[in-house]
Amino acid sequence: MGANMFFWKRWLNAMPSARPPNASALSSTTSSVTVSAPSSLSTSSRFSASSASDYGSASPILACRNLSKSFREGKHTSTILADVNLDIAAGDFVTILGQSGGGKSTLLKLLGGFMPLSQGDVLFHGIALKGITPRIGMVFQENTLYPWLTVAQNIGFGFKIKGKKPAQYKAQVQEVLEKVGLAQAQKLFPYQLSGGMKQRVSIARSIAVKPDVLLLDEPFSALDVQLRRRLQLFLYAVWQETGTTMVLVTHNVEEAILLGQQLIVIGSKPGKIIERVDISKAHFRDRYDSQFLSLQRHLETVIEGDVNPL
Amino acid sequence: MANSENLSHWLLPIGCGLLSCGLFIGVWEIVGRDSANAITQVLPPPSQFLPVLLESDFKVGLGAQSATIYQSVAVTLIRVSVGMAIAFVGSILCGLLISLSKWSELFILPLLGLIAPIAPIAWVPLALVVFGVSNLTAIFIVFMGVFFTLTIATVAEIKRVPENLLMTAQNLGGSSFNRWRWVIVPAVLPGVFTLLRLNFIAAWMAVLAAEMTGLRDGLGTVVMTGRNLFNSDLILLGICIIGITGFTVDRLLLMIQRRFFWWQV
Repeated sequence: MGANMFFWKRWLNAMPSARPPNASALSSTTSSVTVSAPSSLSTSSRFSASSASDYGSASPILACRNLSKSFREGKHTSTILADVNLDIAAGDFVTILGQSGGGKSTLLKLLGGFMPLSQGDVLFHGIALKGITPRIGMVFQENTLYPWLTVAQNIGFGFKIKGKKPAQYKAQVQEVLEKVGLAQAQKLFPYQLSGGMKQRVSIARSIAVKPDVLLLDEPFSALDVQLRRRLQLFLYAVWQETGTTMVLVTHNVEEAILLGQQLIVIGSKPGKIIERVDISKAHFRDRYDSQFLSLQRHLETVIEGDVNPL
Repeated sequence: MANSENLSHWLLPIGCGLLSCGLFIGVWEIVGRDSANAITQVLPPPSQFLPVLLESDFKVGLGAQSATIYQSVAVTLIRVSVGMAIAFVGSILCGLLISLSKWSELFILPLLGLIAPIAPIAWVPLALVVFGVSNLTAIFIVFMGVFFTLTIATVAEIKRVPENLLMTAQNLGGSSFNRWRWVIVPAVLPGVFTLLRLNFIAAWMAVLAAEMTGLRDGLGTVVMTGRNLFNSDLILLGICIIGITGFTVDRLLLMIQRRFFWWQV
């Protein structure tokens, strides 16, 4: 992994900002980088021939079984999620799509132990998850950086909060800073950063403590389109480099297809999985590819069809 | 270009401030030149009361009680800063303790809300009985004037800390104590310090009132000595120094705020 430590900077630099059609950035033909799965992954788990029906591998890193979540509002309870079953394989990149307020974020928070469950189980390495753990990292949409700390201090915060002395983690922070291309900005404070930079720092901070799974709750939705695309490439590169299992919640179908290996659509009222697509073997990560577009259309139809007729 | 912008950014407020002060003093001097004028008897212009300082070798007061102006300023400043420092640290600690439990909040906050509006001067007679004529009395009064408001503010600030910052800290593996120490305390410091600065005026007035009514030294006593001697020069000298010192401390606090507590959560 050390050998291609700096690869994504090169990779990002090599990327034209507006890609011509058919110049697929993520396909196996154009880049020497994208095909190589991180060494920590077993190829079989990522590229297993799973279909929508038998989705998931034998030993998922994170799974939920018959998961339900309801909130009490006065006298009646509203069910946000009902009977959700999901397996997430180690090293996978899962994107969760759905209507606004349809329970995607709730599902993500439950997967990270940020909320108590109403029913069912969340299994992490096969054991019921008890609550928030540093082994499952979370990146929020906003308000993620500590404004009184510099970029480097923010990235080192995961060590500091555990009571470590700066000398003990300085080298690790430097390594992460170099990896994610933030070394130049390490002395800046969050108010001096753009929205995209902030999210990069936020992702870097989560990665620094080497979680097994990284959950991302619409991390780019506050950014403009150009920045969003750059951050998507950044996140994809981080995934390839670290091999961290990623679960991304987004309402942006394009983003979901671009990044995800497994796509999940959550229907609303009550929230349950209404569509699963495994595209880990697909090589059409170009947003103008016809397959890409037809999948996008399909998913959008599924999501729009989910709207309850009023 | 940038330089001239910078210059006007800094110089304009200072220049205008100095100019308006100068104009004010100028008009005062012109009006006060006529010593027969009734106004001059009560409000002698600076050219008349400032020399009092030199004449009396910077000493004000009678016999053994006399103290130099520096001593008076220092005594008052020490009282205010010690009282405010204790109130600042104390209110953050109390705010944190109160916020630990919903119940302590429900029980203690109403009490604080009841005590906070009591004017600090109202504590003077009580403090004189308990602490006697001493620095403790003045410090206590400053503390009472600031502490309760700041504690209520700290509790409110703690509620305002974005949940994501706390959840992130927990997610990164921080213990409860470390989350309080490394997230909540730094998050609330700027807000509480701002309020401390705003409350400085209240504390400043409280300590002067205490010095006027009970204590035998400090800036308030300078004014009171003037009253007792029917000496308008001394009264105005005291008032002037109170104004200038208060202004200086306020600027100093603003500088501390900008230097050490600049962030916004």
